Amino acid sequence: MSIPLVDDILRNRGDESMRKRVMLLLSLLMLVVLILSVTSFGKAKDIKLTVWINGRDSYIGPEEQKLPQDQWYISQCFRRFEQANPGVKIQMIVPPDQFEAHQQFKAAGLAGNAPDIANLWTGQFTFAEKDVIRPIDDLVPKDDLNNIQGWDTVRLGFNPHGKIMGYPCGEVQMAFMLYNKKLVKAAGLDFEANPPRTMKAFDEALKQIKETGVTPIITDESYPTFIIYQGVYWWMQLTGTKTILKECNGDAKFVNDKGLSTMLAYYNSLYKNGYINPDALTSSDSWNKFLQGKGAITPQVTSVLSDAEKALGSDNVGVILPPDMDGNILFKNRQVGGPGQSLVVSKDCKNPKMAVKLLSFISSKSEVMKFQKIQAKVPLRRDVTTRELGWKEGTAIFKIFNWSKNYVYWCDDQLSSDVVNIFDKIAPLTLTGKLTPQQLAKQLDDQVKEGKN
Amino acid sequence: MPAIAKRLNFDKGKRRLLHSWLSIIPVLIILLAIRAYPIVVAFKMSFTNWDGLFQQNFIGFSNYIHLFKNINFWIALRNSLVLLINVPIQLILGIIIAVLLYERVCGWKFFRAVFYVPQVISAIIIGYLFKVFFGLSGPFNLILSKIGLGLFSREWFADPATALGVIVVCLVWFNLGWQTILFLGGMASISPSVLEAAEIDGANFWQRTFKVVLPMLTNVLEYSIVLSCVWTFTQLFPFIYSMTKGGPGYDTSTLDYLIYDKAFVYGNRLGEACAIAVILLVVIGIMTVIEIKFLNKSNDWGE
Repeated sequence: MSIPLVDDILRNRGDESMRKRVMLLLSLLMLVVLILSVTSFGKAKDIKLTVWINGRDSYIGPEEQKLPQDQWYISQCFRRFEQANPGVKIQMIVPPDQFEAHQQFKAAGLAGNAPDIANLWTGQFTFAEKDVIRPIDDLVPKDDLNNIQGWDTVRLGFNPHGKIMGYPCGEVQMAFMLYNKKLVKAAGLDFEANPPRTMKAFDEALKQIKETGVTPIITDESYPTFIIYQGVYWWMQLTGTKTILKECNGDAKFVNDKGLSTMLAYYNSLYKNGYINPDALTSSDSWNKFLQGKGAITPQVTSVLSDAEKALGSDNVGVILPPDMDGNILFKNRQVGGPGQSLVVSKDCKNPKMAVKLLSFISSKSEVMKFQKIQAKVPLRRDVTTRELGWKEGTAIFKIFNWSKNYVYWCDDQLSSDVVNIFDKIAPLTLTGKLTPQQLAKQLDDQVKEGKN
Repeated sequence: MPAIAKRLNFDKGKRRLLHSWLSIIPVLIILLAIRAYPIVVAFKMSFTNWDGLFQQNFIGFSNYIHLFKNINFWIALRNSLVLLINVPIQLILGIIIAVLLYERVCGWKFFRAVFYVPQVISAIIIGYLFKVFFGLSGPFNLILSKIGLGLFSREWFADPATALGVIVVCLVWFNLGWQTILFLGGMASISPSVLEAAEIDGANFWQRTFKVVLPMLTNVLEYSIVLSCVWTFTQLFPFIYSMTKGGPGYDTSTLDYLIYDKAFVYGNRLGEACAIAVILLVVIGIMTVIEIKFLNKSNDWGE
């Protein structure tokens, strides 16, 4: 064996022994390179995953935010995943604004530098990012599909066979009516034993509460909280989600939607009858007032339940479902809710398989149970029982857990952004009668028409 | 530079011209980059359906047509014009206070500081304070009930007329200090000999104020009116956002708030937001030209 260049050099120098030495050295060098490449072959190449996690309503609780980042549940979850998968490194980024994070994710995707995984809102908010999301149908384990609820909220177009755009995550956020037991009892009512299930019974209960001098329902409607948490339940019950989606697409008219006008007429009647705080249209302190015992009922969601229990005492806080509308309704005894958060894999992700493995790990039963110790939330997993969670029968969270098995998905996450924008803005005006349901419906139709143009 | 001019055989006039241009070019470049360029881009984008990212198709005058057909745009324009009421109120109060401070009334140093304090508080905080103060169970309604005027207590932000009234009060309160200091500065530039001469001629306080001081403040007045009007059209966002969020509905939205609403709340209709910005620019331009022409006429006395 000879190497022409080396041969030339050494011949020129006329040193045979030197030639042999150089050949030996080169042979040794080749051997070392060979050994090194063989040993590194079996070891996985280092993988880095960048993950954006929302700072609210997701995996980072308000109490946790007071702690150093490495003590947060989600940081520790990532460390456990790294330990279980040597060579994987996870970098977590917490965008300061959830809404803006959607825009930033899209912009980063356009620029080709999106994070591997991003935390978005489910439904239309996730679907709006479809250009930069990698569908994960081929990577999601079957067990996850069976054991986690809420896949409908991340399937493109809410189609049961639509592409899976991400994992539903965090919790099943449920809406309900939170009430002060003492104030309700003072009105001679017992919502635990006999919750109002018809509109007539509900109105009667509100009347009785009002007669005690307490505001029956206390809410801030500059953002239509009551409508979004309760009203849309009646709307969907009367009109149906499919028709509402058709209205958003311009295939049906809001002005012909009797369910919408019935719901809004009832909303207005609450104000007329004095069952809702008179400053609901402009107030922003109804939650504080409820905690101070100045209102009997408030429309709320799961994430505030623990705050209410701390302020009013867990024995003094109750939850009820909204009553069902009369007449022809499409379903009953349910409530608005569902997973509000999703974790998606971007098209820029170089290791989608590992990214989905991480999402599956976060959603695993063992991780969900660890997460529950930090933040008590209604889990998305079907195989977690109330006994495992330590939730006692009769408690508010126990009830919410049972309701979560049968939720009606958030209406506002299903509406197109144009419709939601105008709806959130002007629907509160129907409370005081400044706008009639028909006028609102016409404006919604105009908005749809404008959006189509 | 003179060497270059000499080498180019420039005469004195051309040399001066070259000197002037070279002096202003750095500022001109900065102004073109941070003022003119965004205006040109906004103008261009106002003819597109720009969503901030992917979508940017030319759609002609559609944005403008949609706006003109939309009742909420007209409500916002009406509100922006109504809120201009704050300008004459600010001017009148500002002049009165400035005159009192100029005459060194008792405690003038203290009041000079007090009137200026709102200027150093964040607009968001001021907006929030007014929201609380004029809330249904806020201090203002409580005071009204305590003094036997409970009849007048109401939900101030629920009705556009009263809500805009509260916003005007807030804007006057915020800007009064700035107006006062501006007029005080203008008064300080009036030669004391002019006032002394007026005094020797037997002019009393009122005559000195109305016949000497105020006419000599016309330039300051012009500057103040133009700036206050522009400010009212373009800088109310933090006040509106913290007090009413433009609501109920669009009842207290202004054009600058509507730009934010269209661009960043849900819809990402940045093309439409640009169209509003262009309309706002035109409205401000027209108003400024009218104001300057009107004030130049009343300023003829000095020429």
